[in-house]
Amino acid sequence: MNIPENLRYTKTHEWVRIEGDTATVGITEFAQEQLGDLTFVELPAVGRAVTAGEETAVVESVKAASDIYAPLPGTVTEVNQALNEHPELINTDPYDKGWIFRIKLSDKADQSVLLDAAQYAEIAGGN
Amino acid sequence: MKTWAVYFEQPMPYRQTAELQERLVAARLREEIPDTILFLEHLPVITLGRRGRDRHLLASRKQLEKKGIALELAPRGGDVTYHGPGQLVIYPILRLRPSDSGAHGYLYNLEEIALRTARDFNVRAYRRPGMNGVWCDRGKIAAIGFRLQHWISSHGMSFNVNTDLGGFENIVACGLVGESVASLETILGTDCPPLPHVRRSMCRHAAEVLDRKLETIPPARLRRTLDLIQNGGRRRSQSVPQPPASLQLLRS
Repeated sequence: MNIPENLRYTKTHEWVRIEGDTATVGITEFAQEQLGDLTFVELPAVGRAVTAGEETAVVESVKAASDIYAPLPGTVTEVNQALNEHPELINTDPYDKGWIFRIKLSDKADQSVLLDAAQYAEIAGGN
Repeated sequence: MKTWAVYFEQPMPYRQTAELQERLVAARLREEIPDTILFLEHLPVITLGRRGRDRHLLASRKQLEKKGIALELAPRGGDVTYHGPGQLVIYPILRLRPSDSGAHGYLYNLEEIALRTARDFNVRAYRRPGMNGVWCDRGKIAAIGFRLQHWISSHGMSFNVNTDLGGFENIVACGLVGESVASLETILGTDCPPLPHVRRSMCRHAAEVLDRKLETIPPARLRRTLDLIQNGGRRRSQSVPQPPASLQLLRS
C-alpha cells in the first residue's frame, strides 16, 4: 500500500501535507480503495472556519456518502474544483491531483495529533 | 455484544428518523450502544440524496403537499427516491468491520439482504450490472442509499412490499430514466405477504449477511437508552472536551 513518508495522517484516513501555515488535505489510497469508485464530491465553501475533526467535505461512491474531516483547525482557503468534474481523480491519484481542500492553519493548530506514515500504516493494515 | 434490531410499528415522519439516526451514530461512535438496525416504514415522503437534489423531481413542493407527500433533503448517498407506508425500510447503524469489505462490500450486502428476502416469497430478484439496488422483471424492488461517518453506517435500504407505487410517479426514481418500480404486491397480487412477515424474513437475512447476532428490543428501550446517554453526556461534556473519535475499521 502506498503511504508516502513525507505526509502526515489522521486516524480517519485523511492525509495532510503541511507547507508553512497551510495544510492540504485528501484521503489516503487505503480510504479510496475502501470507498470504491467515487462519483461525487461535495466541497466546503472557501472562507469557512473549521475545527479539528469537523465534517468538512463529503465524497460519494456508488450509493455511499462519506464524510471527510478537517485534521486541524483553520480556515478553508482553496478547494480542488477539478473534483467537480472529475471525482475519480481521488481514485486514480489520491495523493496529488486528488487533493480535496486547503486550510490556513489557526495559531492553535497542534500538529502533534497527526500520525506519521509508520503510525498510519499500522492503522491501515500494517503493511 | 449483540446487535439491536428495533421494529417500529407505525409509519414515521422522515425527519424524525433522520434525527434518530444522527443520535444513534453519535452514540455508536462513542461505543455507548451496540450496532443497531432499525426496521420501519415512512409516512409518504420524497427524499433528495446529495448527488441528485431536485434534478429528478417531477412535481413542485406545493403539488406534493396536496398529495400529502413531504419533501426532504437526505444526507445519504444516491439520487431521489420515494418512501411511504407498505415499504419496508432498514437503517443499519453499524461500525463497519474489515469483514464488511468497505463501502462497496456493504452495498453488496444490502443488496444481498433484499435479494434473499424477495426469494423467500418466490420472487425472482437479481442485480443488474452497473446499476445499484435489486431488480425483478417488473422493475426495481429495492433501492439503496447510505452514509458513512467515521465508517459508521446510517440510512440504508428500502424494499417495496405493498407500497402505493403512485408516489414514485412524482420523481425519476434514483435518477434512472425509463425504469419502472415494482413491489412484492405488483408481482404476487393478492398473495402478497403482510409486511411483518417480510420484516421477519429480512431481519433473518440481515443477521446472516451482515454476520451479526440480532436481539430485538422495543423502540421504547432504544429511546430510553438514548435519553440516558444524552443526560450523562451533557454532564460529561462540561468536564472533558470530546476528542474526535478514531476510526477502527481494521481494529474493531
